[in-house]
Amino acid sequence: MKTPLDSVAGTVACGVALTVILFLVVRFLMGGGSAG
Amino acid sequence: MDLLDLVVRWIHLVAAIVWMGHNYVNVVLRPTYQPLTVNDTPESRSERFMTYLFREHAVFRYASIVAWLTGSFLLWRRGWLIDAFTLTSYHAVIGMGAWIGTIMMLNVWFVLWPYQKKVLGFVPAAPEERVRAGRITFLSARVNTALSIPLLFFMLASQHGLSLFR
Repeated sequence: MKTPLDSVAGTVACGVALTVILFLVVRFLMGGGSAG
Repeated sequence: MDLLDLVVRWIHLVAAIVWMGHNYVNVVLRPTYQPLTVNDTPESRSERFMTYLFREHAVFRYASIVAWLTGSFLLWRRGWLIDAFTLTSYHAVIGMGAWIGTIMMLNVWFVLWPYQKKVLGFVPAAPEERVRAGRITFLSARVNTALSIPLLFFMLASQHGLSLFR
């Protein structure tokens, strides 16, 4: 079964997507990002 | 920051470069998955080549432990270890990096290496098993390649980008 990790572009895309998701998780944990 | 802190941080970075440098070289050499076949056997390799191969793989595996231990030591020395691993307050930023690094190290030792031993011929395995192990080691290594991207982000963000999280 092919996965995104089978190509360099797919691997980088997974890494970047994970970075964004985890950034939002950590920001939420720190109570950041709220308006005002 | 004192001399010990600086030296340990230095060792931490060197170990991380040795570890992930090996991973990135593999990405450059084999950008896409090239499956083994049952005809690819390690028996034709010389003993000297196998010694070099074992040393190469041992160096990056042990570098992962050095990187993890020095990173944990730096957190402990500041009194941040518990807060980092429990993702408490602003320590959550470095803590997320620490968790990713921990997962990567465990991946190297408990997923990648047991199968890589079969692929490289350090332990005997049937040809079909080596083909299967080759796929697992590829995906395991690529998981670490992908994880290194958020890892580096959180390591740097803990020093240079905390304001982004507020």
